[in-house]
Amino acid sequence: MSGEALRSVQLRKVYRTKGAPEVTALSGVTMEVRRGERVALLGRNGAGKTTFLKIASTLLRPTSGTIEVFGYDVDRDADRVRPYIAVVPQEGKPFFHLTPREQVYTYLRARGLGRESARDRTEEALRSMGLESFANRLAITLSGGQRQRTMVATVIATQAPLLFLDEPTIGMDPFARREVWSSLRRLTELGSTILLTTHYLDEADALSDRLYIVERGHVIVSGTADELKRSVGGSLKVSIPNGAGAVDRFRSFGECVTDGSALSIIVHPERLGELMDVAVRAQLTATVGPVTLEEAFLRVVGRSIDEE
Amino acid sequence: MKSSDALASRPFQGLRAFLWTEVLVQAHEELAMATSMVVQGVLLVFVWILNPGLIGVALVGAVLFSMFTMGARVLNEAAYIRIDHKASDLYLAGPLTPEAYFLGMATGIMVVYLAPVAIVGALAAVVVPLAPVEVLLLLALAGVVWVCAASIGYIFSTAFHDNRAIWAYSSLFFNIFGVLPPVFYPLGLFPAALRPVVLLMPPSAAAALMQRAIGVTTLSSGELALAVGGLAVEATALFVLAVVWARRTVRGR
Repeated sequence: MSGEALRSVQLRKVYRTKGAPEVTALSGVTMEVRRGERVALLGRNGAGKTTFLKIASTLLRPTSGTIEVFGYDVDRDADRVRPYIAVVPQEGKPFFHLTPREQVYTYLRARGLGRESARDRTEEALRSMGLESFANRLAITLSGGQRQRTMVATVIATQAPLLFLDEPTIGMDPFARREVWSSLRRLTELGSTILLTTHYLDEADALSDRLYIVERGHVIVSGTADELKRSVGGSLKVSIPNGAGAVDRFRSFGECVTDGSALSIIVHPERLGELMDVAVRAQLTATVGPVTLEEAFLRVVGRSIDEE
Repeated sequence: MKSSDALASRPFQGLRAFLWTEVLVQAHEELAMATSMVVQGVLLVFVWILNPGLIGVALVGAVLFSMFTMGARVLNEAAYIRIDHKASDLYLAGPLTPEAYFLGMATGIMVVYLAPVAIVGALAAVVVPLAPVEVLLLLALAGVVWVCAASIGYIFSTAFHDNRAIWAYSSLFFNIFGVLPPVFYPLGLFPAALRPVVLLMPPSAAAALMQRAIGVTTLSSGELALAVGGLAVEATALFVLAVVWARRTVRGR
């Protein structure tokens, strides 16, 4: 096993279906994931995240470009790549007629783990996902969030060197999401590498060492969450619920974004007092919070991550 | 970096473990198991009412038909777990080989559904009655029919993107191959002009060979060659194709 955990160069994917127009899902994606990193792929629906993950995990052929996992070409040496990876597929579900314990254990056995090792890792994964009290219930009786936790438990139990997680915490409550984050952090401490896609910007912020923002099949920006947030032009965000009409008074303080009647302004801390004075004089209510990835995403992509 | 799971990918790697997974999955579906012999049971009752003298033929046919439907279940199961559960993505982006995934699934289904078929087979052995060599022939033919059906089922399953579309096709599949041709009734009752067609269909070819063995049907040497050769070639070719197809369809294009 050599090389970076993952490296893609000018990766393109064009879907061609008879009787339908071509769809370019990836338009020359170049990126790398170093060993032991947690990297997030962010993007709106249809940006190309899942296509990238499917190609990287040997489940889809690229149209052109190269992609390597631990130095092996994913397209040519898929059989060599597969033992090093594990995938939480988007919208994947555990077998409804298996219990979480059976699901995790049998999956590990199918990957070639011995009985004892599979049993130990199963219990560990169930514990880390908070699934002990549901471990012997058939998955069909579990909630959507519990099923998703079972899927994540199944894959993290492999402790594979490279894990691909496509929207791993979708449908989970905030507590369960944090349990997943802790488990993923533990895994990378043990040496695994993680590439995940997510719609939750707070998740990408809390979890990723680096992130890539993908839009219409292109990587449009990469860096750490802090770098991206700094690029917004200030570290504070002032929200004024009815401030859209007064936007001209605030333009000199920093970037102003209106959304209906609401106004938000990105501002440096040293100018906050001055801005608040203006708001008070205009009899506007303002709240202050830190700049989040949401602002960074909006600035870079020009649209919110949830916008279709 | 810690060592990964078994690193070298061998043919059929993970077969036993995935077979066991499928056994566990299927064994929880008590209703499907309980209703697995309904069609065969109804057809046996029809034959018994219409011509009790043919019940031995029908029992032998029920064994072969059951093995065929077990294989055909692969069509539904493979499509269902791929489309609804993304199980193929979960399992095949890993060291489990595609051929082990296909064969493990097919064999797991067979293991779970085998018990009632064995009972029908035992009944056939008593009612016909079957000599030991005929029992061995029935076992061999049942295996060949299962290989053909499981292979066809897996190959076809990869063509579907919607589970609802499969119901119609799976029903068509077992009615055309299993109910219509002479599986539950003697080949001699089937229009002579169409005999070559049914002798090329795995369940009816196997049934014709069993009927010949127990003295119910006579086959010309050409028909015998067609049935035996057809089954041998079909089982081998379909199995190889299913393995190749399983490997080929891991990755979308």
